[in-house]
Amino acid sequence: MNEKKDIIVVNELTKKFGNFTAVDHISFEVRQGEIFGFLGANGAGKTTAMKILCGLSLPTSGGGTVNGYDLSRDQEKIKRNIGYMSQKFSLYSDLKVWENIRLFGGIYRLSGKSIKEKSDAMLRYLNMTDLKDELVGDLPLGWKQKLAFSIAMIHNPSIVFLDEPTGGVDPETRRLFWDLIYEAAESGTTIFVTTHYMDEAEYCDRVSIMVDGVIADLDAPAALKQRYQAADMDTVFRQLAYQAKRE
Amino acid sequence: MVLLYLLEKEFKQFFRDPGLPKMAIAFPILMMLVFPYAVSMEIRNINLVVVDNNRSVASSDLIQTCTSSGYFNLINICDDPTWAMQQMDKNRADAILTIESDFDRCLERGEELPVGIKVNTINGTKGSIGAGYLTSCVRRYYAEKSPRIQQNYTAGPQLDISSKYYFNPYLDYKQFMVPALIAIAITMLTGFFPALNIVSEKERGTIEQINVTPVNRGVFILCKLIPYWAVAFFVLTACLLIARLVFDYSCVGSLGLMYLFTACNILVTSGMGLLISNYSDNAQQSMFITWFFMMVFMLVSGIFTPIASMPGWAQAITYLNPMRYYADAMRAIYMKGSTLADLWADAAGLLAIGTTMVVWAILSYKKTT
Repeated sequence: MNEKKDIIVVNELTKKFGNFTAVDHISFEVRQGEIFGFLGANGAGKTTAMKILCGLSLPTSGGGTVNGYDLSRDQEKIKRNIGYMSQKFSLYSDLKVWENIRLFGGIYRLSGKSIKEKSDAMLRYLNMTDLKDELVGDLPLGWKQKLAFSIAMIHNPSIVFLDEPTGGVDPETRRLFWDLIYEAAESGTTIFVTTHYMDEAEYCDRVSIMVDGVIADLDAPAALKQRYQAADMDTVFRQLAYQAKRE
Repeated sequence: MVLLYLLEKEFKQFFRDPGLPKMAIAFPILMMLVFPYAVSMEIRNINLVVVDNNRSVASSDLIQTCTSSGYFNLINICDDPTWAMQQMDKNRADAILTIESDFDRCLERGEELPVGIKVNTINGTKGSIGAGYLTSCVRRYYAEKSPRIQQNYTAGPQLDISSKYYFNPYLDYKQFMVPALIAIAITMLTGFFPALNIVSEKERGTIEQINVTPVNRGVFILCKLIPYWAVAFFVLTACLLIARLVFDYSCVGSLGLMYLFTACNILVTSGMGLLISNYSDNAQQSMFITWFFMMVFMLVSGIFTPIASMPGWAQAITYLNPMRYYADAMRAIYMKGSTLADLWADAAGLLAIGTTMVVWAILSYKKTT
């Protein structure tokens, strides 16, 4: 895996809101095809950093590249090759399942024929063919999240950003959701995921733990557990996150 | 075409909304069938108390003349001026007509009539118009009853003034209000709807999902506007049809020109709605700001009160008010048949404000913060 090239490169990335430094000179790389866990307590700066990587927010200083495109200048180019799914469910609940698929297919400039094919394949894959004509707002949360993930992947992006994708989802659906993530990673898509579930952190190839706007540590879960002499990621996280000084 | 996919989404969402389609239908009906009566500035039903100290045939004829004009409700005929004044104090009388005891004699001799008029001018317009009606009733009565006196006047120079009313010969207030009410309906609908729309995407979080895609922001904004343009043209057509079928009014000028001015106006209001929603975080905020501007626009638009009678500084403000241009143009086309050559100033005003709004709206909508 080390031979693969870095798809995200971040260098001294900083974001300030007034006097508050949300993200404080962070630097890291994400390799192509890996599942990268981006951990941190609430308010540690994860979401802010992720928004910069998606081109939703501009860095105050420092920078980096995603897919080789500059974070400060080429946001619109970055957006062509990434998928994004946020903690807040963000498909249109007043559109039907197939209409949501069609809309985002259209936005990513897929052809009508390819939208049709992808839509059928996706619905079969998710076992949702019968729910095609349901309004998305009427689906249970777990189904919505799976659909949102698949739609974020509709244009075969090279990276998918997942911001707490399994928040509020039951354990069984969480497991199924991670199956989807694994399959996507196997087909070569890089996964950049934030989560508060430490069992999910174990599934990642590498994780970084953010504390007070800086990256406290970054490594494979096994290496981190060894370094902090912890039995599981939960203990590692507690040790690091308790250093936090800001609320 | 990304545009088509986004438009499909907007139209589907519009028709699935529990309130919007109903509002688009209810609005023109309400505007055309209820408000022309409700916002009438014609003064009718003035409560009249008569103090008749004469009690003659002549005096009751005069009272008859006044009440048959249709503008007055006769409350009572009495001979106690104090009682009459009390009625006015209690707000039961708007006007008091006092006929003195030598009224019939004076009439016979052709002298000045001993008639007094008192009006309640808490509402200045109602008061002065009431006084005007009463005076003209008395004058008409005087002219009828004393042709002999009139002949005496012919010795001197006489003015014969005849007035002719143009464009609205029956001084029908409803006809005056119909084009203005259309202007209000369209401004409100196209101002409020787009503002609500973008803000609701913000509230639901769906706008973030759009912002993370490579969609062009101009295309996105345009797709927010087009459905409301369609709604506005539907409302205009419905209003014109209702006015035609119910009141038998028709547009004197070119219908195409009315649609053209409406298109210019939509540019302004929907641009403004989007602009406001860009700067608001929730629906409440955007509704309050939109409502504030709508209020100001309407009150200084010349729709209810003539601009020419406003003080200079207020007249200056009206030049910034898009509704001034739109309402003026709509009335001129509908009632006088004005052409684009007459109304180029209104068109230029609307276009200038509209372009500013839309460009500002697109520039202030940021996909990246």
